[in-house]
Amino acid sequence: MDKRKIFISPVTRIEGHANITLEMNDDGTVHDAQFHVNEFRGFEKFCEGRMYTEMPTITPRICGICPTSHTLASVKACEMIQGIKPTYTANLLRRLMHIGQNLSSHALSFFHLSAPDFLLGYDSDPAKRNIIGIAEKFPDIALRGIRLRKFGQEISERITGKKIHIMGIVPGGMAYPLTEDNRKALLDWIPEAKQTVQLGLNIIKKFHEENGEMVQSFANSPTLYLGTVGPGGEHELYDGKLRFMDEEGVILNDQVSPERYLEFIAERSVNWSYLKYPYYKSYGFDNGFYRVGPLARLNVCSRMKTPLAQEEFEKFRQMNGGRPVHGTFYYHYTRLIEALSDVEDAERILNDKEVTSLHIQHHGRWNYEEGIGSSEAPRGTLFHHYKTDETGKLINVNLLIATGQNNPSMNRSVLEVARQYVKGEDIKEGMLNRVESTIRCYDPCLSCSTHAIGKMPMVIELKDRKGNLIRSIERY
Amino acid sequence: MNKIPVLIDEKKLEVDPHRTILEVCREHDIEILTMCHLKGIADIGSCRLCLVEVEGINKLMSACTTKVTANMVISTATERIKKYQRITTELFFAERNHVCAVCVSNGSCELQELGYKTGVDNIRYPHLFPQCNVDTSHPWYVMDHNRCIMCTRCVRVCNEVEGAHNWDIKNRGHQVRIISDFDTPWGASTTCTSCGKCLHACPTGAIWPKAIVQGQLVKNPGMITELVEKRKMRL
Repeated sequence: MDKRKIFISPVTRIEGHANITLEMNDDGTVHDAQFHVNEFRGFEKFCEGRMYTEMPTITPRICGICPTSHTLASVKACEMIQGIKPTYTANLLRRLMHIGQNLSSHALSFFHLSAPDFLLGYDSDPAKRNIIGIAEKFPDIALRGIRLRKFGQEISERITGKKIHIMGIVPGGMAYPLTEDNRKALLDWIPEAKQTVQLGLNIIKKFHEENGEMVQSFANSPTLYLGTVGPGGEHELYDGKLRFMDEEGVILNDQVSPERYLEFIAERSVNWSYLKYPYYKSYGFDNGFYRVGPLARLNVCSRMKTPLAQEEFEKFRQMNGGRPVHGTFYYHYTRLIEALSDVEDAERILNDKEVTSLHIQHHGRWNYEEGIGSSEAPRGTLFHHYKTDETGKLINVNLLIATGQNNPSMNRSVLEVARQYVKGEDIKEGMLNRVESTIRCYDPCLSCSTHAIGKMPMVIELKDRKGNLIRSIERY
Repeated sequence: MNKIPVLIDEKKLEVDPHRTILEVCREHDIEILTMCHLKGIADIGSCRLCLVEVEGINKLMSACTTKVTANMVISTATERIKKYQRITTELFFAERNHVCAVCVSNGSCELQELGYKTGVDNIRYPHLFPQCNVDTSHPWYVMDHNRCIMCTRCVRVCNEVEGAHNWDIKNRGHQVRIISDFDTPWGASTTCTSCGKCLHACPTGAIWPKAIVQGQLVKNPGMITELVEKRKMRL
């Protein structure tokens, strides 16, 4: 193959693969970086022509890690079309399931995917820098991480009978109640889950102490933030209003109903990635990059809803004098604070007398032609927007996914880390891992789905300013 | 009435004449796979799943349309039959767009059940992926041609039990489609009584109620059989 040609590997054109192109200056420093996502899913298009009521079944298949978030956003959009609301108990069960998914996802992200870097080192043997390596060296931590993930999935299983791609969250409420036996069984998990999350917090805080400079400087670029908050500005995952915040901590828009998302967010496509570039509309494409996910949620919210999480939240907020914390590395810390809040909130819900009530569904039918739903997926704010004809058949679908909203920032973070660690044409494995870990901070879906054992399939290309390929490193 | 002797899967049976092989087998707990058969409406032998071997006849016979005769020797579960049953099942899946994971009928689907019974773990034939219409024009029900296997149970139940004859068939071969009235949208039908019998007769997720999502669909084809029996008894 002519090495002067731009190389875009077709091998990576499947879910979970990424390409990175680095444009080099003549002096061997990095000029620009592009993070390519080559997956094409097509959900928005092939859902057209289906009944809107099928969407809560179809859209969870977008992701095996956050199917509950998709289902929730979808049923909310359906409920807007029908003009109905779920019952009190259904809301409790939905919250509980969402917590389960969030816990499971955060446990996977931290203990399985990221902890190997913290516990074994960025430059350790790649063959052992994974959960297996953790299991060999720190078996208790590995087991606890696996069990925390199990607890999250067991919540779904004990309510709906399935761990992933759950059925049972339906427009108007839930299809299945929680039995008393299952309620008690889930409550038994709480003490262990709390301990495990606190163990994770200790690991990350120790890493912060020992690697302060790296943690502070790691892709530390100011961006805007978007997250969901409750009526009093409290942290919220399931049902709330949107809050936009600028890089200085000024609230740009507050208590925005998710139905108005298009007034604030626009999207643009680029010709080198299937992942679109959403941006904060009034700041324009160049300045409107915003981030979503745990870091964004904890930056925008005023307080946590539970006591132990609130204690950690206060420590987090002091890190930048009460202003937003921009360091991408803090995604891990905020993820664990959220996990702590999840466990505490799960305990509160499981102790609610109404959680086992059989009044779990309201019934409705098609009434309106448009529905918008949102939820906070583990990776950030998620929007489902459906338009139907007068029979309920979908004529337009817009899905604004959390990873997409982080895409511009991921690009910027990759550039910053590349500039920090890549010098010259000789790319070392440690550099590859650091660039990879930048992406991993965001815990994007493409990482979750393919990165199960510590290595993300990746192609890094080194090009000169004219676009000529200097070198390409592939890892599958 | 005098009974006649038959041998089914090496079991000697004394059975009523004028009965179909399928009826006799069901009465004696001998499993025969079916899709187009629904007790209470006329059998047409179209799905080719109930094929049996009859001694002395080289071709396979459909159990739902072949009547027993004295001293008939029948085999229902030979390797040859199992092979054809699996082929037939795979062709059902290959002909239209069946995606169990997101189908409203997932978990309560006769085609899915058939797949398990015949051991289908992959489809060896190229999928046709036809572009099929989803008719949502009826206020209560949806007709999704992607999931239709052309068993025509809906056509027969509408004609024979409800007496409306809303459903019929157009075209031939793999272009064949169920139509409402003279190929108009279901919601514009002047013959449909919205009784819902076609929904219960449908073995897959082709006809389903709009208000239902996956996990909530309960079809009761036995209700049609019961209705026909009660009418015969003038209850």
